[in-house]
Amino acid sequence: MKKYERITAMVLVAGGVWVIYYAWHTLKLGSIHVPDAGLLPFLCGVGLALLGIIWLLALQLTKEEDKGAAEKRLWYRPVISLALMLIYGWAMEAVGYITSTLIFMVAWQQIIEREKWFKTMVISLLGTFAMYALFVYLLKVPVPPEFFAG
Amino acid sequence: MDIFTGLINGFSIALAGTNILFCFLGAIIGTAVGVLPGLGPAATIALLLPMTYVIGSPVTAIIMMAGIYYGAMYGGSTTSILLNLPGEAASVVTCIDGYQMAKKGRAGAALGIAAIGSFIAGTVAVVGLTFFAPPLAEFALDFGPPEYFALTTLGLLLAVTLSGGSIIKGLIILIVGLLLAMVGLDPISGKIRFTFGSIVLQGGFDFVTLAMGVFGLGEILYNLESTMKTEIVTTKIGKIFPTLKDWADSKWAIFRGSTIGFFIGIIPGGGAVISSLASYAVEKRYSKHPEEFGEGAIEGVAGPESANNAASSSSFIPLLTLGIPGNAAIAMIFAALMIQGITPGPFLVAEHPDVFWGVVASMYVGNVMLLVLNLPMVGLWVQMLRVPYGILAPIIVLFTTIGVYSVQNQVFDIYSMLFFAALGYGMRKLNFDPAPLPLAFVLGPMVEQSLRQSLLISGGDLTIFVTRPISGTLVAVFVLLIVGQTLFFLKRKWR
Repeated sequence: MKKYERITAMVLVAGGVWVIYYAWHTLKLGSIHVPDAGLLPFLCGVGLALLGIIWLLALQLTKEEDKGAAEKRLWYRPVISLALMLIYGWAMEAVGYITSTLIFMVAWQQIIEREKWFKTMVISLLGTFAMYALFVYLLKVPVPPEFFAG
Repeated sequence: MDIFTGLINGFSIALAGTNILFCFLGAIIGTAVGVLPGLGPAATIALLLPMTYVIGSPVTAIIMMAGIYYGAMYGGSTTSILLNLPGEAASVVTCIDGYQMAKKGRAGAALGIAAIGSFIAGTVAVVGLTFFAPPLAEFALDFGPPEYFALTTLGLLLAVTLSGGSIIKGLIILIVGLLLAMVGLDPISGKIRFTFGSIVLQGGFDFVTLAMGVFGLGEILYNLESTMKTEIVTTKIGKIFPTLKDWADSKWAIFRGSTIGFFIGIIPGGGAVISSLASYAVEKRYSKHPEEFGEGAIEGVAGPESANNAASSSSFIPLLTLGIPGNAAIAMIFAALMIQGITPGPFLVAEHPDVFWGVVASMYVGNVMLLVLNLPMVGLWVQMLRVPYGILAPIIVLFTTIGVYSVQNQVFDIYSMLFFAALGYGMRKLNFDPAPLPLAFVLGPMVEQSLRQSLLISGGDLTIFVTRPISGTLVAVFVLLIVGQTLFFLKRKWR
């Protein structure tokens, strides 16, 4: 964990320096009498870079905590689900709301939950129907039209 | 309009058919998310923000959101007591004695005193809100840009220091929130900032996408990593109504919890979690039998549960009177008001008395509803825990996606939400508390505008922040807080 924290701290320092440059060079600070659009971003950039350095130093000075028997965590599940959501967002406009929602539900139950096909289909069909009924039929939310409907 | 006339008008609004229905809906949803571990009130309100467009009436929308917030405080105790699993953060401390009581066959008494304490504290806090908020709003009418700058900065700092996590990480999140709020057109000069040439970003990030991403989906993604399964409840609940002895043991704990919760709730950054922890510490410290704490002391349930409910109601005071949200869930309600075209602040009571008094009156009604919902229906709530996460998670994803899409009918918002979801997930992985992020995002424009306006008014004289009495006092508190925190840190290091 400490390794990732160190990388994040370094990214924050770099980000802070970039914000300082951008605020100074592109946005302009103005004067203390008439401050310009870059003043607060500049102060935020300074703060971010400083806090990143302090965090790095603090990480250097502290020892890695022994977490004992920590719970086993499956990191790939959130990564895959994020990818599925990204595809779902794209597919919504490409193939329409109902088709994309049904495909998303099937993919989620199969890839993330590893459910059996029968249960997958029941959950997916019911979920898609419930969402359509709630948002489109009841709340009248305009959704992307179906590609296959012509 | 005086307080009593306002309150009577408020009741006529709160008891109207639609409003009472949405108050009930809010109380039900709030209790449900309180019961379900892994989905807090902030996340739920974030998920429901797009619904405010559909509801239309601002009073109705805020009545529902408020119901969710204080309803979650009631529901949170159920899983803490029965499963030793806090339904939401403010009920963590209830696990200690609540679960021990359940193991001894006294789950009913623990649930009963938690609900009754919550009802009393919630009502006490709403009475405080009724009488405290209007004069405070009147006082805040004198606030100018320097006072607002001092107040918002102090509020943000308190949100970080009181959250209990790492101060460095809290400050980082605060700055990230401020920077995210700056994306788009600068409100004063009209310059475009941090858009990287994107036209869509010129309008800035939408709060709904940020809130739903960081709180709704971020939490879902983090929970997906977990391999733990919730055990089905086997604990016998027993008699729900506390005995006379239970009542005698708890009455002062409820009173103290209500008082502590009310005052901590008013402080920006305070809120339900800290108040419940503070109440538990006070009860243990002043108890005649502190050794019973941790073994099933009823005061250890009554005090914290009263405190978190009082805090959830009183945290509406800074929002409705000063326009300053004190915690993440209240920041969501702030956004809901803004969506409806209402700016929370000192003018709210005078300009939108229907919203102010309607929401206040609905809290009295909501507290009664929650007492009725929680006591006899506790078994039903527990059954909800049987819904597998494998079904709940994708449904929430669908809900957020269509919700975010419905705001502006553009897929770009879905992508922004996913960006914030990844940010929220990363924050949780690296032990960052995401709570200061929405606060900074919401208060960011106010901080910047009030800072620049103050400098313009004073001709660049920075003493404007210390020479005016109110801003001077706030700056003094700010400095004391920083000095105090630094001394505390150094003292701990030297030991």
